[in-house]
This record gives sequence, C-alpha cells and structure tokens, in this order.
Amino acid sequence: MLTTLTLLTIGLPWLGAICILLVGDDHRRLLNILAASFAVLAGIAAVAALPLATSQAILLASLGGVFGDFTLIPDGLALSVAAIAAVVGSLAVIFAIDYMKHSQQLARFYALVLFFIGAMVGLAVSGSLLFTFLFWEITAFCSYALISFHNDDPRAVRGGIQALIMTQVGGIGLLAGALLVYAYFGNYQVNSLLEGFQAVPPGVLSLVAFGFLVAAAAKSAQVPFHAWLPDAMEAPTPVTALIHAATMVNAGVYLLARFYPAFAAVPGWRLSVMAVGVLSALLAGLLALTANDIKRVLAYSTISQLGYMVYAVGCGAIFAAQFHLFSHAIFKALLFLSAGAIITSIGTRDLMRMGGLRRPMPFVYAAFVIGSLGLVGLPIANGFFSKELILEGGLTEGPFAFYLLMLLGAGITALYTIRLLWMVFHGERRGPEPAHDGLPAMRVALGLLAFGTLTTWLLAGGFSRLLADTLPLHGIEAESTWALVQQVCLAPATWIALGVIALAFGIWFIRSKLTAPAETLRPLASAGFGLEELPRRIADWTDRAAVSLQITQSGQLNWNVVAIPLALIAILFVLLGFK
Amino acid sequence: MTLSPFTIALIGVIGLLGIGFYGLMISRNLIKIVVALQIMVKGALLGLVAAGNANGQIGLGQSMALTVIVADTIVAVMGIALGVQIRRRLGSLDVRDLSSLRG
Repeated sequence: MLTTLTLLTIGLPWLGAICILLVGDDHRRLLNILAASFAVLAGIAAVAALPLATSQAILLASLGGVFGDFTLIPDGLALSVAAIAAVVGSLAVIFAIDYMKHSQQLARFYALVLFFIGAMVGLAVSGSLLFTFLFWEITAFCSYALISFHNDDPRAVRGGIQALIMTQVGGIGLLAGALLVYAYFGNYQVNSLLEGFQAVPPGVLSLVAFGFLVAAAAKSAQVPFHAWLPDAMEAPTPVTALIHAATMVNAGVYLLARFYPAFAAVPGWRLSVMAVGVLSALLAGLLALTANDIKRVLAYSTISQLGYMVYAVGCGAIFAAQFHLFSHAIFKALLFLSAGAIITSIGTRDLMRMGGLRRPMPFVYAAFVIGSLGLVGLPIANGFFSKELILEGGLTEGPFAFYLLMLLGAGITALYTIRLLWMVFHGERRGPEPAHDGLPAMRVALGLLAFGTLTTWLLAGGFSRLLADTLPLHGIEAESTWALVQQVCLAPATWIALGVIALAFGIWFIRSKLTAPAETLRPLASAGFGLEELPRRIADWTDRAAVSLQITQSGQLNWNVVAIPLALIAILFVLLGFK
Repeated sequence: MTLSPFTIALIGVIGLLGIGFYGLMISRNLIKIVVALQIMVKGALLGLVAAGNANGQIGLGQSMALTVIVADTIVAVMGIALGVQIRRRLGSLDVRDLSSLRG
C-alpha cells in the first residue's frame, strides 16, 4: 500500500507529463484539465501516504553490483517533503491555468512542471544515494528549462544557465559523497551511511559531510552559491512559486537534515552549517531591503528563510527546521502567487510602478498580508511558531553570537516585508490601472494557501509525532500541538524576537530620517556584495564558449557520420589502454 | 612469403573499414552513405569471425557476427527509410541540402 502510494506520487505526474506532451499545444482546455487533475491526484496520493510512514527501507529492484539496490525510505522526513512538493505543486498548477492563459507552448510548460513534481518526490523518498543524485539532476534540469521558458528573452536564458551551472556544482558534491559511501559500504544506501558511519575514517567522513554541505548550499541557494536564485525570477511566476520557493530549494535543507545524525560529530561541520545559514539569512535580508523588483525581493527573502532552516539543522533542531520548511513552503508560495496575480493584473514587476493597490485589489491584498504575517513570524500564522522554534533551538544549542545575528535577521525580515507591502499596496498609485483582482483559478489557489498559512501550525503535534516515530536516529521528541504552543508562547526567545520585530516596524515609520545609511548600503547591495558577479560571468563564458563551438556543428552529414567511427576508435584505444 | 589465413582476414578487415570510411567521408548521396556504412559493418563482421577463430572460440565469434547482422539490417532499413522521407520532403538526396542542424 505504502509502496504503491509512494510510487503513484512519483509516477502520476510523470504519466501526466507524457499525456500532455502527446496531446500537444492545440487543446488548451484539455491540457489545463489534464495538468490539474494529475497534479491534484499526486497530491492526494502523497497526503494519503503520510500516516503510513515507516522507518524501514523498501526494496524495489536490485540493479546489480554497480548500480546497487533501488530502495525507498518512506519515513516522515521524506514523505513530508514529498507531500509539500505534490500539494503546493498542484496548487501552483491550478494557479497557472489563469496565469498562462495567453502563453504559447503550454504543453511544454505543464509537462516540465509535472515532470519536476515527480522528480522532487523521487528525490525525497529515494533510499539510494545514486538515485537521489539522479532525481537531483532531473530537478536541476527542469528548473533550468522552466527558468528559460521564455527562451527568446536573453535574460531568461542567462538565468537558466546560471542556475544549471550552480546546481551542477552542488551535484558534483553530492555525487562525490555518494561515491565515497559506495567505496566504504559497497552500496549507495542512505541507511548504511546513517547506521554505519562510525566505520568510515574521520577524514573521509568529513569529506562526505562537506561535499553534502556544498551540494545543499548550491541547491538551497545559500551563500556563496545564492546568486542563481534572484536571476531565476525570469521564470513564469507559478514556476517560481513551485520550484524556487516551495520545493526544489528545500532539497538542500532536506539533505542536511537527512544526514545530520551521521555528520553531527564531524569536527567543524555543525559550525560551518550554522555559519552558512546565518550569513545567508543576513546577507539576503539586506539585499531584499534594497531590491526594487517584487519577485527579487521575495527571492532574497527565500534565501534568507532557507538560511534559518540551515541554521536550525546546524543547531540540531531538526524538527524546527522541517517545520519551518513546511510553513515556509506554504506562506512563500502564497506570497509568490499573490505577486503573480499582481503582475498579470498591472503588467509590471517594478515596485516603483506599483503602490495604492489596496483598494482595487482587496482579495490579493488580504492574501499578501496573510503571507507577510507568516514571513515576518507574527502570531496566528504558521511562520510564527516555526521561526520561534528555530530561534529557541538556536538560543539553547548554538553559539550566542549566531543567535543575536539571527534575531537581527528577524528584524530585517520585518523591515523588508513592511517595505514591500507598503510599496505595493499603500501610498500613491504610481503605475497602470489593475486589470483584475485575481482571476477565478488564481483565487482558488490563493484562498487555499492563505487558509493553510493561518492553520497549518495546528498540525505541529502530528508532524512532530510523524518525525519522531519514523526517525529514530535524529533525536526528535514527539510533542502535542498544545505543548508546542505553550512552549513557544512561554519562551523568552519568542518575546525577544517579537520585540525586535516591533522595533523593525518602528524603524519603518521613521524611515525618512534614515535615508543616509540606506543610501550608503544601496550601491554595495546592488552589486550583490560582489558575490553575484562571478556566476553571471561564468554564465557569459559558457555562452561565448557555446558560440565558438558552433563551428563543430557544420550541419554536414558527412562530418557527423565520420565522427561516429572516429569516436568508436577513440573509445577502443581508451579501453585497450586500461587493459 | 606466405600469408597466414588470419593475416589475410585482417587485411580484409582493414580494407573494408577503410573503403567504408572513405565512402562516408566523400559521398554526397544519402544512399551511398548507407552503402558505405554497410561496407564498414561488413568489415567489422569479418573481424569478429576472424578474431573468434584466432581465439579458439569459433562459435562465440560467429554468433556475435550473426547478432550484428540482425542489428545492422535494422540500421540499413532505418537509414533507407529516412532517405525516402528526405527525398519526399526536400526533393533531393544530396546531403549538402540537409544543413538545418548547422549551429
């Protein structure tokens, strides 16, 4: 039953993708129906699998000595990540029905999105590192293809290439780790590493641990690999919400949380993880304060929130990290989709051309405010509970300096969120007249996500039980929702954090006196603190290398056919050389 | 100087491969390219049989050769079928007209 449901969650979206490709671009209605129904079915299968979670690995197929066994580990951690991907994915697909109304090549869009959802679920539930790597690369490819969806726009193409190169760096880290695991255990099983990591020499284990950290940082857009995420904002907004907020970027946090028990004792690893998280949270927060593109602000805030999760994993607060991952996926998808509704309504992403949209767009305004509550971490929204749990974990487990920096980060979050809210919805109208206040399918997705943002914290108890029951090695304690709520409300960390947030709101209202420091920050931030230049250059180099390699594509059949025997001869010589 | 049977076979293999390769490089006609490819494969077949013989595993070499014959037939059929399609669409079999893959 569990195996069937898990395989359905991977297989249904992929089946849907194939159907959609076969139907083709001409039948738009049918495409909408197919995409939405397959995505929703996958979401239902994922949620139905949740109560059946087990810590046992399930063997699906033995693929011989080289590829090892293909197993599933449908435990709480894997299934929750899979369910988030499938459910948020289905809402993004529903939203896309309206968003992509006038777009060409709809089949390509839906097929890639569905293919991505299946791959993300596979990444989460695979018990074999080799297959994790495979799915990891599929998600990277889908992300690339969807960022460059408008492939006549050079910025979209560059953003896609940048994302691909960056996540490949991470992929190499993951592959290197997987191969080292194979070298010591003779298989790629996640569980062999988790249970037998003492048998690995400390030097090798730390190599694996830091390889995985690089992989996670690249995928989750953490410093110094973060630059691809803001440039990925050229993708259609439902894709941004799905991939660059709710699912793919979670893969890094998931990977760190998954292997935390094996790596926790590696000297310096936990500290490095925390440092990466703190740096990302602060740097991205500052960048979000100065960006003037609504999607870029949200992208930076995603990096910053992922920084919180990475920091929590470093502290050993796995439950807090995963719970924030859950909350973040929902409220960030809500924020991105609201932004998508605004963008289709007024036709610009520039904050300078927005303002005063509160009256003409009350529905989107309400959704955006609810999402902001989650982002800032104010009570009743799910982000409040998860973020406070992280800060509490940081106070008790991590270095005090890091805790203070994260508190500062919470303040910055509040500041850029209120700035965003203000520039979009309040003040003078500076841009075009909005065309609509969210189309019907958009409203369905926004309404459900807003409801989720306000209520998913009620699932905290069940979620902690799910993780505690199925993850014996991670040291998670099951607690009821009521106990967690009490714990959060009574913790001094919470009140300090709320104080900092209130202070940040206070700062916003005296902002006119603070223009001088803001202006000194701006040139520094617009250069992305120098870290965004390098990946852009690498993307440009790749582009130029591709152009100069065009001479090999002569288009002459003779050369192409001759190249085949030449390659065969070369392979023959290589093989003879190895003999 | 007497040549051993294996040497003769080897000369045959190299000769066939060379002829086929030359044909691949210079033919402009799609059908001729398929023929050249076939000549190369025949050289490889001869090589397989000769190698099996020299190795003492005659049966293995011959069965490998048989397998290759089957696969190769399919390749030839596919190649000619593509040729027919191209002739229908472009009205020519000249490979210089097939340049839509130029980068």
